[in-house]
Amino acid sequence: MTTPSDFISQLATKLGRSTPSQTPDPVPIHVPEYRLSGPEERATVFLHNWQALGGKGAIVKSTDETVQCLKEWFGELPLDRPAQQAIVAWDLLPTIAESAFTTLNWPLVRYPQSALDTRERYAIAAQAELGVTGADWGIALSGTVVMNSNPQRGRAVSLLPPRHLTFIETSKLQDNLFEVLEAISATGSPPAAIELITGPSRTSDIEMDLSIGVHGPVEVCVLLIEDELKD
Amino acid sequence: MKVSLFATCLTNAFYPEVDLTMAKILKYLGHTVDVPEGQACCGQIAFNSGYISDAREVARTLIDSFEHSEIVVGPSGSCIGMIHHYYPFLFENDPVYLAKAHDLIGKSYEFTQFLVDILKQPDLGAKYSAKATYHPSCHATRFLEIVEPPLKLLEHVKGLELLPLPEAQLCCGFGGTFSVKIPKISEAMVAEKAEHVLASGADLLLGLDMGCLMNISGYLEKINKPVKTMHIIQLLGEGMQG
Amino acid sequence: MTMYKEIVEKRVDKALADDFLRKATRRATDRLRLGKFKAAQDLGDWEDWRLAGEAIRTQVVANLDFYLKQLIEQVEKNGGHVHLAKTPVEAVDIVRKLVHEHDAKNVIKSKSMVSEEIHLNSALESEGVSVIETDLGEYIIQVAGEPPSHIIVPAMHKTRQQVADLFEPIAGHTLSSDTPTLTKFVRQEMREKFLHGDIGITGCNFAVANTGSIVMVTNEGNGRMVSTLPRVQITLMGMERIVPSFRELDVLLNLLGRSATGQRLSSYTTILTPPKHSSDSDGPEEFHLVILDHNRSEILGDTTFRRALNCIRCGACFNVCPVYRQIGGHAYGSVYAGPIGSVITPLLEKDWDKWGHLPYFSTLCGACTEGCPVRIPLHDLLVKLRARKTLSGHTPQIEKRIFQGYRYMFTHEKRLRQALRMGAHLQRPFVKHERIVGGPPPLSNWTKSRTLPMVASKSFMQMWSELKLSEKSSNSDPIQ
Repeated sequence: MTTPSDFISQLATKLGRSTPSQTPDPVPIHVPEYRLSGPEERATVFLHNWQALGGKGAIVKSTDETVQCLKEWFGELPLDRPAQQAIVAWDLLPTIAESAFTTLNWPLVRYPQSALDTRERYAIAAQAELGVTGADWGIALSGTVVMNSNPQRGRAVSLLPPRHLTFIETSKLQDNLFEVLEAISATGSPPAAIELITGPSRTSDIEMDLSIGVHGPVEVCVLLIEDELKD
Repeated sequence: MKVSLFATCLTNAFYPEVDLTMAKILKYLGHTVDVPEGQACCGQIAFNSGYISDAREVARTLIDSFEHSEIVVGPSGSCIGMIHHYYPFLFENDPVYLAKAHDLIGKSYEFTQFLVDILKQPDLGAKYSAKATYHPSCHATRFLEIVEPPLKLLEHVKGLELLPLPEAQLCCGFGGTFSVKIPKISEAMVAEKAEHVLASGADLLLGLDMGCLMNISGYLEKINKPVKTMHIIQLLGEGMQG
Repeated sequence: MTMYKEIVEKRVDKALADDFLRKATRRATDRLRLGKFKAAQDLGDWEDWRLAGEAIRTQVVANLDFYLKQLIEQVEKNGGHVHLAKTPVEAVDIVRKLVHEHDAKNVIKSKSMVSEEIHLNSALESEGVSVIETDLGEYIIQVAGEPPSHIIVPAMHKTRQQVADLFEPIAGHTLSSDTPTLTKFVRQEMREKFLHGDIGITGCNFAVANTGSIVMVTNEGNGRMVSTLPRVQITLMGMERIVPSFRELDVLLNLLGRSATGQRLSSYTTILTPPKHSSDSDGPEEFHLVILDHNRSEILGDTTFRRALNCIRCGACFNVCPVYRQIGGHAYGSVYAGPIGSVITPLLEKDWDKWGHLPYFSTLCGACTEGCPVRIPLHDLLVKLRARKTLSGHTPQIEKRIFQGYRYMFTHEKRLRQALRMGAHLQRPFVKHERIVGGPPPLSNWTKSRTLPMVASKSFMQMWSELKLSEKSSNSDPIQ
């Protein structure tokens, strides 16, 4: 096998130099910036785009409103029976979410603590009806929720259950992807996984016929929590 | 203006009336027209087939023949496109001819572009009653970005109704030697183009490149659904007489 | 040479005779092209984005030595392992060794064109390892034993009934051929495989040099499964698939989603910096990045074709190509089809006999160049490849002679004039109703499906000379 230094120096030769170039100057990027007027428009555009992709979405201001929404969306499901472990969630959700689930008396299985063995955790997430997460950012232009991985969370929560519910504060919404990538860069080294989720799992692989939920969640829902507003 | 005509190899051999009409129109507009001797072809047919050195010699001959011309006008987006798009590459290692090539590029125009963009004469007072559709040839559109000029000329032809051509952006499948080198794919492509021409409801097909028009009309004739086909120059020529 | 010529012709014939394939190709490419057109609208001036994309890719490729070194260092710093493969055989060996070291029986894969390029699946399967393609389209063609026919929609050429027929033996019962049923079947079938995969193999849309991150773009979520659930992740990448940092990633992701499927962002854009952190509750514990050269370094050293490395594998050129539209992907015969495939396959594989037909699968109409989100002049590269092939002596003798004749004739207009005069006479046996019909090849290749006008009795140059003479003698202008 080729060693890295041989491999690299061969490339340098092909590029007409004996050793690799020094840190190249970044290229100037001049692209039009997508900008919205403020928090209100941002929330509206986000919801519009999220719903256009087939996601459910709503803005909530209080625990009561959250409870109402959850009942409406998931009331039909057997989420209130502890034995079924029907809801898996991150260790910590936004306060409004926590209190809504408490009010509803829907027990949450905290994914990171649900089992000692990783494969057992997967099995728990896979048999759940609903995965509940927070998010670090949202992107209005594309209708996207963005979440970093960390020990209190779990990537399978937004992946294995057939339904995924995200709680995100309106203050975390950004206009465009660039702002989010910039924010990630600013945190230093990125986490093991950053998931940008834009709607439900979809495929058009059979006769270009759009079909929802081939591997990932079939149904995706977002509750925007109106908090202190940005700008 | 003193205008030199570039009679492309295809019109020269198969459609001399296109070249002649181009000369007549330019004369009618008050310009001095000449046809420099020695010109034969832009070299595209060899260039596109990968025969660069053969193409280069033919291109050299063309450059030489127009060396003393002030303005060069040709009835084809493809041939003028060849000069503009590929001559710099063809002569990249020949500084003398590279300079001459750039000189030719600077003074050569496709006919509709010359009339509308340079002479600013989109209205020749032509009259022609027909329901027509226009095929925008790829090289004119993509190499020379000629989109508006042919349409402007057609807009000013009284009695002409221009119908949209579905999927107009699709190549007709001519591609020079492509049509004989990979004839089956070429046929499939022209068959689709012909479908769209027929679907347009037009009884007249117009274009600014005889290569494409020869291909499309040749196919329509073969399948016994002939559609009258004209170069825009022919249409204007006839329309101006009426 | 002849043998390959026949193979190519057979493939083309087969494609042209396949009505479903041709309809499906039109439908898919039309839909993707229009989707892209719509999605490009909300970004402001799309041309600005294309220019930025081109600038980024060009700079990365021109400094690939630096960025690749940085990437390798970063991945290793993150705790991953990097393997460099000069050839497809080396790349396969690396993966095979990793599979054996981990005693892996079940390998699950998300889409990777590099894995197609190195023919990984057959190599692993021949050793008794189960390799499952998890992208629905890839799975369909894996079961069918076929290569992808489109870079984004690999099973575009299959009808839903054909898909149902392929899945029935696996299901062990009859399946209705409606899409939801088929999708649901695959969801159930794959779930177990995801949960029990020993090793996940993924592709890589972009690798971020300064963080050692891998960016993967999928719509189904299989990419996330494959990169989350198995204990070991292997990622395959072509060595040019790099962006310097997240700043440039923004531009390329915006271009990719829109150009590939008309989406602002694909359903799942996953930025992975593996392996998982020790206290993370899931994610792969071990990460291997396999970086493939396979003559990419030759392309890098060839300034004529270097720009081919700028490609971001979006498939936009497929969707505008009028040739691809008629024949679909399989007729090309190569792993990478469409315009970009016709450019890179001869350069990667270096076999004119086998792949020399590809640069001619184009009318040079320029639609590919116009559609490319990073402004690769694809049609120029195709014509330059033809020149390269001719120079290398791989074109037929007869063709060489034809162009020698062309040069002889078209460098002397007087010779041409004479030849045209002769042609006007010689054509007579083939003329019917003022059109040339029949005739010997290559003329017959034209006349089989089209009429040809007669060579004019007088060429324009001849006509003009005569008019000039009469003008002189009569002192008037005969062409008014």
